[in-house]
Amino acid sequence: MSDLDKKLRIDNYTPDFDPAKEPLLRVRNLKQYFKATKAVDDVSFDIKKGEVFGLVGESGCGKTTTGRSIIGLYDITDGDVYFRGKRIGMGAGAEKRIKQELKAAKAAGNSARVAELEADKVVHKELMTKIQMIFQDPVGSLDPRMTVREIISEGLIIRGIRDKKFIDEKVSNVLEMVGLVPEHAERYPHEFSGGQRQRIGIARAIVLQPDLIIADEPISALDVSIQAQVINLMNDLREQMGLTIMFIAHDLSVVKYFSDRIGVMYFGKMVELADSDELFAHPLHPYTKSLLSAIPLPDPNYEKKRKRITYVPALSHDYSKEGPTFREVVPGHFVYCNSEELKKYQSEVASIDANAKKK
Amino acid sequence: MAKKLEVKNLIISFRTNNGTVKAVRDISFDIEKGETLAIVGESGSGKSVTARAIMGILANNAIPEGGEIIYDGQDLMQIDEEDFHKIRGNRISMIFQDPLSSLNPIVRIGTQLTEAMILNGKANQREARRTYSYKVGLLSAAMKSAGVQDVDSKIKIMNSALEIGSKAERDYNYSRERIESMIKNINDVVIDSINGEPAAVVKEMRLIVKDSQNAYNPFLIDANKSELPALMNRFKDEMTAYKSTGDHKATDATLAKVKSILEAALAKSAPKFFAMGYCKLNNCLPEFDGKGIDAYNQAIERKLNDGFLNGFAADVAKGLEYSNNQAFIAKRGVVSQLDSALSKMSGERIDISVCEQGCKQLAKVVEASLDRLAIRKDSIAYTFKTSIKYAVDTYKHALKVENRNHLNKRDREFKNRMDIELYQNNIRHIISNASDNYKSQLAAAEKIDYIELAHEMITYLDELCSKKVYTVTKRKAQIRAIELMEEVGITDARRRFRQYPFEFSGGMRQRIVIAIALAANPDILICDEPTTALDVTIQAQILELINRLKAERQLSIIFITHDLGVVANMADKIAVMYAGKIVEYGTADEVFYEPAHPYTWALLASMPDLDTTEKLDAIPGTPPNMLFPPVGDAFAERNKYAMAIDLEEQPPMFKISDTHSAATWLLHPDAPKVEPPRIVTERIERMKKLGGE
Repeated sequence: MSDLDKKLRIDNYTPDFDPAKEPLLRVRNLKQYFKATKAVDDVSFDIKKGEVFGLVGESGCGKTTTGRSIIGLYDITDGDVYFRGKRIGMGAGAEKRIKQELKAAKAAGNSARVAELEADKVVHKELMTKIQMIFQDPVGSLDPRMTVREIISEGLIIRGIRDKKFIDEKVSNVLEMVGLVPEHAERYPHEFSGGQRQRIGIARAIVLQPDLIIADEPISALDVSIQAQVINLMNDLREQMGLTIMFIAHDLSVVKYFSDRIGVMYFGKMVELADSDELFAHPLHPYTKSLLSAIPLPDPNYEKKRKRITYVPALSHDYSKEGPTFREVVPGHFVYCNSEELKKYQSEVASIDANAKKK
Repeated sequence: MAKKLEVKNLIISFRTNNGTVKAVRDISFDIEKGETLAIVGESGSGKSVTARAIMGILANNAIPEGGEIIYDGQDLMQIDEEDFHKIRGNRISMIFQDPLSSLNPIVRIGTQLTEAMILNGKANQREARRTYSYKVGLLSAAMKSAGVQDVDSKIKIMNSALEIGSKAERDYNYSRERIESMIKNINDVVIDSINGEPAAVVKEMRLIVKDSQNAYNPFLIDANKSELPALMNRFKDEMTAYKSTGDHKATDATLAKVKSILEAALAKSAPKFFAMGYCKLNNCLPEFDGKGIDAYNQAIERKLNDGFLNGFAADVAKGLEYSNNQAFIAKRGVVSQLDSALSKMSGERIDISVCEQGCKQLAKVVEASLDRLAIRKDSIAYTFKTSIKYAVDTYKHALKVENRNHLNKRDREFKNRMDIELYQNNIRHIISNASDNYKSQLAAAEKIDYIELAHEMITYLDELCSKKVYTVTKRKAQIRAIELMEEVGITDARRRFRQYPFEFSGGMRQRIVIAIALAANPDILICDEPTTALDVTIQAQILELINRLKAERQLSIIFITHDLGVVANMADKIAVMYAGKIVEYGTADEVFYEPAHPYTWALLASMPDLDTTEKLDAIPGTPPNMLFPPVGDAFAERNKYAMAIDLEEQPPMFKISDTHSAATWLLHPDAPKVEPPRIVTERIERMKKLGGE
């Protein structure tokens, strides 16, 4: 391994991190408000190393905002984001306090504390390169005036790598990984089809050897026959590179196929979170039920029978006595509910299982 | 069932700087009334181009190279823009994929919705009035010629009875609409009072009171007898109390009672309006006692039938028979002329002057032989004039270009791809087709049941008359627009009515576009990927909406999509398109349970469903460049089942059953037997098991 390769490795910055003990990404009480709009309102979840975490919900429910807040495209209103055990995102208030502390430490001449805080800053900067994003629109997310090489190597250059030979090697390496050929590096994005452009977007994301990829609806703008290619590619990369993926999408069949765990969002709240098989076997929150009942399948007989469940919050819950919180109904299966509903949900799970056994 | 739209051998190309792109290469399909045809394919397969050709909105560089799109006795490829105005939007409407481009950014949503409604309302009324009087004029002339006595007075009775009936129907429908709106508001009150929004509750309560004043109709709710007026009076008092105290127990109870009355009213069946009109005209309309509507209907229908309709229908039948016979005499003459013209046009090269003269003459006689009174238009005869003219002109142009060397660019391109043999065959084909069509009609002439036809005719006139009396005022348009907005799932429609497009999210904009498309009550709705930009729940709502409207209005729908899951929900028939050709065509069950084309297999295998765990079978590569369409089967390159012949020759459509066909050499008797991929067969097994439960 060359020195430059080492520079791309992360362990130096977080030597204490143990993926067996703690999650790769920990989001706690994340809030993202845009003036009065609560786009993301008090959302908490973990993503374990090596898993695919699916995030579903209707448009405007805050799933994209969640992804963007984690990667730092927005300034978080409140809450904390931990990545590899280090805090990488915090509310504006916390950030201000740290700045004040640094100032105070400098003024007081506490050099140990200053060094510590400065080191934190560097770690933070380095850690952020280990989270990468794949965007929905393969046309809009690539600069039309840059060649594919420039697009892919931009991240390396920003990280301070100037060795041309190393960059060339890296670029052709990732191009091969995503199913393109090294000769493509000299071309411009407009010379590629939609599926190939999305592959370039993926190549750009993986060139920095990230730990976590936030894929924001990476296939919804693609043709059917190309969608499968991209999903297969992401699956292969995940195995090869040990990637962890946060997969934001609204096509539930794809999310079910691709994800290990799924979080369901509704109006800025996480309403249900479980393993993907568990979620589809025991959907508990009425919104999840309505979402699952809306999935179209390529089966005319099933479609004729399919009854859609509508979700009207006011009629489904009575939160006048006790407000809802995020609770664990069965191990690993969380639902946003109050204690009365919790009991109801638990008996529901039991009865579904009993019925399944009878059959 | 009647065929609503027929597309035959459509070929469309685009001129571009790099050459001619063959977008649609010889496709044919048809749609019946109340049926959904789904066109499935990737981008660039030519599905949107087909839709745009039907709407007559192809881009400027499009070259319609051949084929026919027949709607209502007209070939949409031939008619001029002026005639197309009457069809586009009114009869055939379209929903686009990108909702933003179909809305005007600087006009309020409400105005955009009502504008077309008011204009169309006026135009429809005018059109209905014109068609009505035209048909009645033809009918009375035919009846007179058939020797029926007192034609004028009988027609007059029919006119007045229909008009009075239609007005009663209009009032009835108005009350019904108000009742529906009341029920909706009552539901909203319940939800909003749970949500604790007293301002909205009061607003909705006011609307309930307002609607209730117009909801009375003896056939729904009787203002004198029923308990509703008393309830409403009580409700008004309770409402004042609610405003001051905010306690909604009393109002809720009253509203529940009101709702049950209203729902009972809606469940009642409608009276027979034509019969009512007739009875009113003769001052013999019995008072409706508020009970058995069926008995009442029977009584007034008996009066209508005995007093007028039985005799009148017989008279109408006579008129229709006369008009039909006249047409048949003409048609017999036309058939012999067509056949003799055809015999003259055999040989190596048709003589152009003979051909041109002859065809002009033929077009004239065919036009003269049309039975204008028939409700169902004979599409072959109606399109004869334009299609023969087009065929002859093309042939003439080809002859002209053939022997000339100095040509402009357009003609040069034309010369490169022209096929004189084909043009001559086209002319012969059109003539023989028309002749065969008339022959089959003449053969079936004896079996026609004129009495049945007469009743059909009267129903048709009745429908026209309803349209004639239906006026769209600004206020009505506004109410209708708000209803449409609510129908397509926009909450708080009254406020949003006054907003601009940029204030709506993507899904909401698409709903507005659908509302606009539906406002004109079209026959055919073309949906070009309407839900691609929307998420599942909203997609499901919009698909349900389209399905419901299809059932209610007997809409024919062309649904263009790339999502096979969506198609299973919607389609009666499916056409799978690839590289400008239809590769598989069949009913939904056939295409999903017995897919035959490798491309259909690949599409099915490349999408996961909820039970898929194995690696997806992705289709390798990308669709072919249509600048240089492949010689053989366009899918061969990406097809793992491709055979040598696939690269050399295009497969024809092989018939699997009467409704199912596919274009793949695998169906040729000599081809090796190939099983679909395992992922597909397993899924079909699973689906069949589920279906059997």
